Amino acid sequence: MTNDTATHTLQMSRFLPATPDEVFDAYTDAEKQKIWFSILDTEPGIVEIEVDLRVGGQQTAAWGASRDELFRETQIFRVIDRPNRLVTTSTGSTPDGQTMTTEIEVTFAEQDGGTLMSVVQTGFPTAELRDYFSTYAWVGAFDRIEAYLTRE
Amino acid sequence: MVQQQVLDRAFAALADSTRRDILTRLGEGPATIGELAEPFGMTLTGLKKHVNVLESAGLVTTTKVGRSRECRLGSERLDDVMHWITLYQRLWERRLDGLEAYFTLEKGTDE
Repeated sequence: MTNDTATHTLQMSRFLPATPDEVFDAYTDAEKQKIWFSILDTEPGIVEIEVDLRVGGQQTAAWGASRDELFRETQIFRVIDRPNRLVTTSTGSTPDGQTMTTEIEVTFAEQDGGTLMSVVQTGFPTAELRDYFSTYAWVGAFDRIEAYLTRE
Repeated sequence: MVQQQVLDRAFAALADSTRRDILTRLGEGPATIGELAEPFGMTLTGLKKHVNVLESAGLVTTTKVGRSRECRLGSERLDDVMHWITLYQRLWERRLDGLEAYFTLEKGTDE
């Protein structure tokens, strides 16, 4: 991709009942991650996480229902500003070998005695497609996207 | 990497207004090269070139039907990108849900 390629941004945020220090540490600590990452799982699966929390260091995570179905993500730490901000470059890979590299910025803002954790992930090369769909009536395309996103 | 090159081709293909119009027409259903050429006032050769670009980008698929070549939308490239966005949306939902449950349970235990 060239630098001129516009990209799609994924944004999410959540209020968490803990201080920014507590959230930052839980989010970045490997052992704590193993606990909360699977805390809501109803069936046992594989979760492997290793963290080298320093600028230039990396976090590797692999998870899935079985060894043959592991989704992997490697994040390289670009900015570590505990407990306010974390910037990483993420490379995800699917079991069939596809990869996608994106930039992730996570911020931890104190709010009402808790923390508003916000995620901004950029680099999905979809803006041209999205703009195309919003400008031209590609009949059925939105239905397909909706079906894709909501499929179980 | 291969996937990035494929996406580059998809975006380059979409940069042309005639090719976008062809996709819009194909959104209504499959059409032959001849049927596509007529409303655009183009020669078959000129239209074939555009279809070839769309086909190599994975946005259109063509099938030989008798003496004609039928074109239809191919959504493989779009599905690739949407697949990644969906994966990451689910990953973040899982992370945020997990953290919320972790702290909610932890605070509940403290009280």
